[in-house]
Amino acid sequence: MSKQLRVAIVGCGKIADAHVEAIQNNPEAVLVGVCDREILMADQLASRFGLSNFYDDCDRMLATERPDVVHITTPPHSHLDLARISLNAGCHLFVEKPVAVDYAHTKALVDAAEAAQRKLTVGYMYLFDAEAVRLRELLHTGVLGDIVHIESFYGYDLQGPYATALLADPKHWVNALPGGLLQNVLDHLLNKIVEFLPEGEVQVQAVPLRRSAAAKADQSGLLVDELRMVMAAGGVSAYATFSANVRPMAHFVRVCGTKNTVKLDITTSTIHFERVPTLPSAVGRLVPPFQQTADSLRGAARNVSRFMRSEFHFFDGLNRLTQQFYRSIANDTEPPIPYSQILRVQLVLDEVIQQIGRAAA
Amino acid sequence: MTIVLVTGAGGFLGPSVVERLLTRSDLIIRCMVRSSVSLRLQQLVSRHPDRIEIVPGNLLSATHITGVLRDVDTVFHLAAGLRGSPADIFLNTVVASKQLLSAISDVNSVRRVVLISSFSVYGAATQPKGALIDEEFALDAHPERRDPYSFAKARQEQLFVAAASAQHSFELITVRPGVIYGPGGGGMSTRVGLRLPGMLLHLGRNNLLPLTYVENCAEAVAVAGTQPYPAPHRIVNVHDDDLPSSRRYLNLYRSHVEKLRFLTLPYSATMLLARMVEWYHAYSKGQLPALITPYKAAALWKGNRFSNARLKAMGWRQIVPTRDALMLTFEHLKDSAETPAADAATKLRRSQSTVGLYPHPSPPSLQLAASTDRSCAQ
Repeated sequence: MSKQLRVAIVGCGKIADAHVEAIQNNPEAVLVGVCDREILMADQLASRFGLSNFYDDCDRMLATERPDVVHITTPPHSHLDLARISLNAGCHLFVEKPVAVDYAHTKALVDAAEAAQRKLTVGYMYLFDAEAVRLRELLHTGVLGDIVHIESFYGYDLQGPYATALLADPKHWVNALPGGLLQNVLDHLLNKIVEFLPEGEVQVQAVPLRRSAAAKADQSGLLVDELRMVMAAGGVSAYATFSANVRPMAHFVRVCGTKNTVKLDITTSTIHFERVPTLPSAVGRLVPPFQQTADSLRGAARNVSRFMRSEFHFFDGLNRLTQQFYRSIANDTEPPIPYSQILRVQLVLDEVIQQIGRAAA
Repeated sequence: MTIVLVTGAGGFLGPSVVERLLTRSDLIIRCMVRSSVSLRLQQLVSRHPDRIEIVPGNLLSATHITGVLRDVDTVFHLAAGLRGSPADIFLNTVVASKQLLSAISDVNSVRRVVLISSFSVYGAATQPKGALIDEEFALDAHPERRDPYSFAKARQEQLFVAAASAQHSFELITVRPGVIYGPGGGGMSTRVGLRLPGMLLHLGRNNLLPLTYVENCAEAVAVAGTQPYPAPHRIVNVHDDDLPSSRRYLNLYRSHVEKLRFLTLPYSATMLLARMVEWYHAYSKGQLPALITPYKAAALWKGNRFSNARLKAMGWRQIVPTRDALMLTFEHLKDSAETPAADAATKLRRSQSTVGLYPHPSPPSLQLAASTDRSCAQ
């Protein structure tokens, strides 16, 4: 790359730390400024990361620093407006998830980026973890055959510091989303499915459950602590589970094919194969556990190797997504996440939220 | 009657401050709580319904604060962010304070603000070993290098000092407690060492721990906030008498709470470990967090002396002797470890009620068995 991309961040809350690190760890980019409408927040981020340029006015930052890329890490209600301001300044966009409050806003954002001929990506970082990338590579080899079914599971801790704080604060931006807390996490669950569904309309059936006392007592009807979703498109089915009660909190996707099945465990960053037995009778039942053990050992070895090479960061996926996005800008190639996928995730998400709302009513 | 406001009244220190303020006969105490009212605060309200007002609200919401401040003479500002991401801690400490100060300038009734800060604002990292930390001690020039809480508290102090200088409408009293501990306060202070799976890395050695039991700290806050106008002292450090060393504290903890395995590191080894951790953090581009760095290690484990002379000159007397305070805390920690959550909560209520029976200002003579601490400030 001939020159470093000039990058700025708008929104200096919790997730901004991860973006600063992803940018600072990327030799192809330089972080030129951070901005938050609360200047104290911009100041604190700049102070902690040794940055000299911080702003409380996005227009002024864009005019002064002239960034090539803007990372928008504000609450989703402001994404579309900030995106338009940044696009007008000629910037490419990295927008944190949830990308917008609903499909209409998401579509408007994508359209605006295309009209401005600037590139856009969204913070679906788990899709870019090392093993998630490897899973995609495996699928392209045809080892699974045709995909028949996908299962996605996302565990959540409603007692954790983040959920506790936002549930206690009715004015928290998450509670202002049409789907509340669920909307802030469901895209993690759905984007791993939508990627593998054939084109066409997605049929969705959501089954919300309220198991805990907190969920049962919730007046809004949106606090669901167990959610099951069945989806289908083009002859491929999917099943998604959001659970705030199952322990340990799992986070995985399982892709079932006509030849083999594979499970990507995001929590442990490992891939597990479930192969069709090739040996007969009792021997056919003896061998698979050894194969699975060998798979686990190979996965562990890969992770140790990544750790030794300092490539096993908590935000590994965000680092890789950022790198791929910057390269798509530099080389003028397709951005790492197709816009059709971003829109489709939001479409399914809206439908799920509407069904939960109808069930609550 | 004078109306005072206590922000963060639902936290660890808040109910104790309310209780100590109740011993001053001419005060109406308005308590701002962010979410639910703790059981202890409910008990105080039921005993003094005519002197305590509970006002739910969030300091980050400007519309909440102005109404809460109506006719308030003194603000005891305890609310701060203790958990979450660095940005969350900063938001709930500094930005919340900015909103409070803005509302104070609007209402025009507030004559005094008592800010509960922390020992962590002092620049112990760059001062010699054994230096005496009193109110004249240099402030930390780089609190961002220490930890998010210290950074937020340092910025919070700057904000209040600037506002007090600019507005001239209120008198600022800054209270800097050491490690606040007591039943319900949490575990062992990092000044003792770092908890690892199954053991403690004991880094405090023979250093004195600047502990202040929650009731004693609350009394200090009340004393500092009720000085006559104008206040003779604007900054006061808070810690108890008879401070234990880290080693003595650990021995008592092991005798009364659990037989915790530990490894004591000399200061030179601690610094070597801190340098290695910092180097690896940079080398790996943050693959593992820089839990300890030479700067943090020097601030926490180099070893200092402390003075509460100014606090005593203001009339503060320790309500709960250090040994009794340690025993009460250790008893709670042991109960918490041994019993289910519901039972532990019951025992916490019992121990807090017991503490609440201490007369003011004469010390009690309870014979209790236990010991420990938990840091809140510092």
